[in-house]
Amino acid sequence: MIASLRAESLKTRKRWANWILFGILLLTLLLLGYVLTYVLLSHPPRNFESRVPARILKREVFPENLIPNVLAFTSTIGAAIMIILGGLSTASEYGWLTVQTILIQKPSRRAVLLGKLAMLAIITLLIAVVTLAATALTSYVLVTIDGTSSNWPSATVLFKGFGALWLEFAVWTAFGMFLGIAFRSTAAAIGGGLTYLFVGEALLGQLLRNTDVVKEVLRFLPGVNAGAVNASFRLTFQNPNATTQLVDATRGTITLLAYLAAFTVLALLIFRRRDVGGS
Amino acid sequence: MGLTQGLAVETRGLTKRYSTGVLAVVDLNLQVRTGEVYGFLGPNGAGKTTTLRMLSGLLRPTSGTATVAGGSPGSPGSLARMGAMVETPAFYPYLSGRDNLRVVARYAGVPRSRIEPVLRQVDLTDRARHKFRTYSTGMKQRLGVAAALLKEPELLILDEPTSGLDPQGTVEMRELIKQLRHGGRTVLLSSHLLNEVELTCDRVGVIAKGKLVAEGTVDELRARSGGRALLVRATPVDQAQRVLQSLFLPGQIQVRDGVFSLAVDPAQAAALNRRLVADGVDVSELRVSEQSLEDVFLELTEQAPTPTLPHKGGGG
Repeated sequence: MIASLRAESLKTRKRWANWILFGILLLTLLLLGYVLTYVLLSHPPRNFESRVPARILKREVFPENLIPNVLAFTSTIGAAIMIILGGLSTASEYGWLTVQTILIQKPSRRAVLLGKLAMLAIITLLIAVVTLAATALTSYVLVTIDGTSSNWPSATVLFKGFGALWLEFAVWTAFGMFLGIAFRSTAAAIGGGLTYLFVGEALLGQLLRNTDVVKEVLRFLPGVNAGAVNASFRLTFQNPNATTQLVDATRGTITLLAYLAAFTVLALLIFRRRDVGGS
Repeated sequence: MGLTQGLAVETRGLTKRYSTGVLAVVDLNLQVRTGEVYGFLGPNGAGKTTTLRMLSGLLRPTSGTATVAGGSPGSPGSLARMGAMVETPAFYPYLSGRDNLRVVARYAGVPRSRIEPVLRQVDLTDRARHKFRTYSTGMKQRLGVAAALLKEPELLILDEPTSGLDPQGTVEMRELIKQLRHGGRTVLLSSHLLNEVELTCDRVGVIAKGKLVAEGTVDELRARSGGRALLVRATPVDQAQRVLQSLFLPGQIQVRDGVFSLAVDPAQAAALNRRLVADGVDVSELRVSEQSLEDVFLELTEQAPTPTLPHKGGGG
């Protein structure tokens, strides 16, 4: 597995697509989630309407709301980026046929895939660290420009929030990785993953949320459970857009861990047994 | 499953039926001796690549067994002792040739110091820093061979190594293959190009419709199919034909483009020449012709029956 991990690290850091994906994640988060939000709420348009005044709403970009704001933003854009990252890591091997090159070296199939999974775990960890650090820095700059004061979250909240961020990144990456192995096609893996995320969970989940049968199904979906975890980190003001969660944060965490395990195990099973090439 | 001494590859009853129902390889019993260059010859779709994929662990056999480099196909022990290039060489297009070999070396647990020597061996040093996607077909093939050599393998499996190469590239690859056998290395290469196999291989196995239909040295295969003939060019043709028909059976005489091909013992050449001249026939050409490997190949593969497996209960 170590040999596979070392090979994956070389491939990963030299692939520009990975850096571009991370750059998109960071730029959209910082520019849209922080800078643009601060500018708009500092100088709201004349037709701006909200139950909470703009001067209160803009506190969501200050350090006191670091964790809930990052989690809310990355659960949409971040989830999509992670699905793409995971899908590319496996589906590309089939598209380029490099899967047969690496399987005829020395490591067993299990070792090859475990090395890839370990690399993805490291990547998601690093992305979570950099994301949190960059948003913390941006948040500090904005509150300094604003001239107001804001407290940082406690160490416990920071630690838990970082854990939630990493877990959610890992689940969506594992989902994309699994789709890449299952479909053996980059387009199918990414297209299928994003369709599920934006149409299956986000759109249908919101539209049919109050239907009894649909509600029971939604309780088991990864996006809903991630939302429940995120909702446990509350803003420092009353959020007028908050939705009622279908599950609590503890169940949400357990469900996400179960998905992480399931995607990993299923990917291993398929990868070990399936023929490579031929017809 | 024991390995017969002196064999780098041994298969027993190796069979592969794909999920689509296609029966690609049937009851294959193959033996590749240690230190030889073995040519696996067959037309397109005969089952060559399927066989090599099974030997490399990329495909799971439907039935039968195989031992490759002392281990079961795809096992770490077997893979550690073999190098392979199966079908099109596949590498990462965004990496340079050298970086691709670095990736392969890391997977194989081979030190980085092996990379430059194999690049020199395949004459790719000058292009090693360029991205793989800029490589020509010949360079891709050479990089594939380089990757297969990184582990200094005891067994080298090459699937159609001259595929897509121009004549110059084909000659260079053939010379490279001849060098690769040094030090007792075993080479198993597949091809549908008879000339390539004839010039490179010690022994040849001919596969057709998934079955091994013949195996042996090139001379043994020719002899199996009748071997040599006398070629006679003489005028007048009709007079020559009358003389030949008086000496030999109709089945021994074939004529094409004014040249008679006689399936007779070449030792009769001098006597035949005297008889023709005595009967007023001018002989302008009289020589021994060996049946080409192409003739042997066509004869063996066209005669191969379509294989089936015995039905189990329940059909399918």
